[in-house]
Amino acid sequence: MRIRVHFYSYCKDLTGCASVSECVEPASRIEDLLQKLFVRFPKLAPAQKSLLVAVGVDYQGADYVLQEGDEVSLFPPVQGG
Amino acid sequence: MRRELEITTDEIDEVALLQRRKFTGDMGAVICFLGVVRGAEEGRPIAAIDYEVFDRMARRQLDLIFDQVEKRWPVASVRLVHRAGRVPAGQPSLWVETIAPHREEAFAACQFIIAEMKRLAPIWKKPCPV
Repeated sequence: MRIRVHFYSYCKDLTGCASVSECVEPASRIEDLLQKLFVRFPKLAPAQKSLLVAVGVDYQGADYVLQEGDEVSLFPPVQGG
Repeated sequence: MRRELEITTDEIDEVALLQRRKFTGDMGAVICFLGVVRGAEEGRPIAAIDYEVFDRMARRQLDLIFDQVEKRWPVASVRLVHRAGRVPAGQPSLWVETIAPHREEAFAACQFIIAEMKRLAPIWKKPCPV
């Protein structure tokens, strides 16, 4: 299935784009998607430990099972204010 | 609890915000916090900060934070305005107001909102050099 992935802040700089479409197997987890993205965008991999992940408008952990139509966002720690 | 949330590229209009303030008879404390862009970041002068906001998610996360406030304190009103885009040094980027019966809960709620916003709301800042 295809998952839309959006990048924010310096994740956008590391990947060189604001969003991509990635193909994953059914029942894949976020951690599976991340591994694919780290291969596709090697500059993103070193930021792995600090990356935050959201599906839609809610934070999700690496174990979250992706579903058709999910929109995933990847970003560094937030710093509003 | 009354709640208002605004994420805007416009300047924060404190006068308009104060005019829209609403009290109920049993409210005795108003805390109003203004976060202002400093003229330096990590010792280097800057002209502005560029705020990037994941708008839909920021609204969702701030709404969840307001839910927590409502559960924890007898707060009558919470209002928050956050700037998006380029904010020149010296201008406010954040305005938060809490209204409660007593100062303890008004201060606590205001501190909580700002701390949680900095932890959860997807907003990032990029300093713009002078």
